[in-house]
Amino acid sequence: MANELHVNEPERIYGLVEHGEISVSEALSMIRKSTNQFGKAEVEISKEERIAKIQRELTKLIGLDSVKSLVLEIQAFVEITQRRISARLASDPVVLHMIFKGNPGTGKTTVARIIGKLFLEMGVLSKGHSVEVERADLVAEYIGQTAQRTREQLRKAAGGILFIDEAYSLARGGEKDFGKEAIDTMVKTMEDQRSDLIVILAGYSEPMEEFLETNPGLKSRFPITIEFPDYSAFELFKIAEEMLEQRDYQLNKAARRKLFRIIEDVRKKEQVNFGNARAIRNLIEKSIRQQAVRLVSKKTTSRTQLMEISDDDIQEVVDA
Amino acid sequence: MKRVIILGQTNAGKTLFTINFAAYLGVQSITFTFSDKQRGSYTRTIEIQDAIELLVSDRAHHTRSIQSAVLQIPWGKAAKRFEILDTAGLSDGIHSDETVRRGMAYTLATVREAEIILHVLDSALIAKKNVLHSIGEVDYQVAQFGQLHTGYAILANKIDVPHVKEGLDKICEEFPGHFVIPISALLKLGFKEVRDFVKRHL
Ligand SMILES: Nc1nc2c(ncn2[C@@H]2O[C@H](COP(=O)(O)OP(=O)(O)OP(=O)(O)O)[C@@H](O)[C@H]2O)c(=O)[nH]1
Ligand SMILES: [Mg+2]
Repeated sequence: MANELHVNEPERIYGLVEHGEISVSEALSMIRKSTNQFGKAEVEISKEERIAKIQRELTKLIGLDSVKSLVLEIQAFVEITQRRISARLASDPVVLHMIFKGNPGTGKTTVARIIGKLFLEMGVLSKGHSVEVERADLVAEYIGQTAQRTREQLRKAAGGILFIDEAYSLARGGEKDFGKEAIDTMVKTMEDQRSDLIVILAGYSEPMEEFLETNPGLKSRFPITIEFPDYSAFELFKIAEEMLEQRDYQLNKAARRKLFRIIEDVRKKEQVNFGNARAIRNLIEKSIRQQAVRLVSKKTTSRTQLMEISDDDIQEVVDA
Repeated sequence: MKRVIILGQTNAGKTLFTINFAAYLGVQSITFTFSDKQRGSYTRTIEIQDAIELLVSDRAHHTRSIQSAVLQIPWGKAAKRFEILDTAGLSDGIHSDETVRRGMAYTLATVREAEIILHVLDSALIAKKNVLHSIGEVDYQVAQFGQLHTGYAILANKIDVPHVKEGLDKICEEFPGHFVIPISALLKLGFKEVRDFVKRHL
């Protein structure tokens, strides 16, 4: 297996040893070959470049300024801790389990995925993938099955991120509920496994706070909290434009104005849940279908027409 | 400050060598920094005798993190400092225990930073057992790796054990062209040669 991989970044090679994919001998021979071929400096640049690329992916996200700077802060801290340990300076273990607070569709999963990739490159995680689950994936109906189900998800997430959406719902139903069993199992695995798994508990701010209050043991185990603010109307508008662009569509002038007005209106009315990108996605998809309906009766359509979304295609009604 | 890394299979005597070599260079107690990628690092000062009791063991994979200390070698009228790094023992195959594997991975990650590699072999074991069962694939790999380094030497350890001569011969046969220093970490034999070797490469 090892030789097929052609892994030539030392950090990756150490990771493979740690996770039992290859033996020390195989690793030594790989390191020897890679340093012969590429030399030390080149290898290190490419690692940095990959990290920079992921950072760009993060900074390119619309809005989320506070989230971005916090993620970069965490990354810098992990990097410096690694260097301090290499320099054998006193350093506390870095615990990277996190709480993500915010409304649905505020970018929590996207950011979790980016964090996974970032920590893969930094050698903190061996796989960097993210497994997204909710209560039903962890909690079973019968005694004893919850631990098993939770462990299964933890196993899937090993080497990456376990992202538990609406995590507060694990506390629903109080002491006797099996949600508690899921929490206990999770905490135990986090303790045993220590490294190579990051658990992220996500959900609406308020219920998450309550959840943490009622489970004081959790707070210290999840030392990082990231708040995901609702998007502003302008940010939501930008997100809409970006979504359309990715699908090869373009808003004409009138459509832009209309879309922005709709977004602003709904934001002003503080319609529940509109602070999120999911409602925007629905709106966009609806407008794409509307455009199709508008164009389908035409015998011929130009490329520009096929791309253009006009104000008529955008519906006034928004269902969040 | 240059770094001297101690490598070898588990139970070769790396930790005992590290501690006794520090004692040989004149310290009463050794200030070890224990570092581990996951658990962070911390520093403790330990009396030599306590260090031997606590950190040396015939149990396999006793050392699981990097234990490092700053030592000095007399240099004319002054002294030159270097860092010695005792590491988690390496073994062939894939170990079933994650912490052991992590220790080994960390050893590998640290090798690159060291200017001098001292590769410890258990000559007594090699005398007693066929080389297939006493010298590991990992030892050959370390030796090959060492060739890229200017400061690489093999410490053929445990020469205080009776009938060890055959082991020393086998080591020289298996690792031709390498600098082999017979030592006893227990009785501090051969330490002058080790000190001179280190000094030459500082
Ligand atoms: N007779 C004799 N025994 C030794 C010598 N060096 C080490 N030992 C013994 O060998 C065993 C292993 O020694 P350690 O120094 O703990 O070995 P290590 O290489 O650090 O092992 P790991 O930490 O597991 O990688 C202990 O029981 C030591 O007392 C030596 O020179 N002579
Ligand atoms: Mg040891």
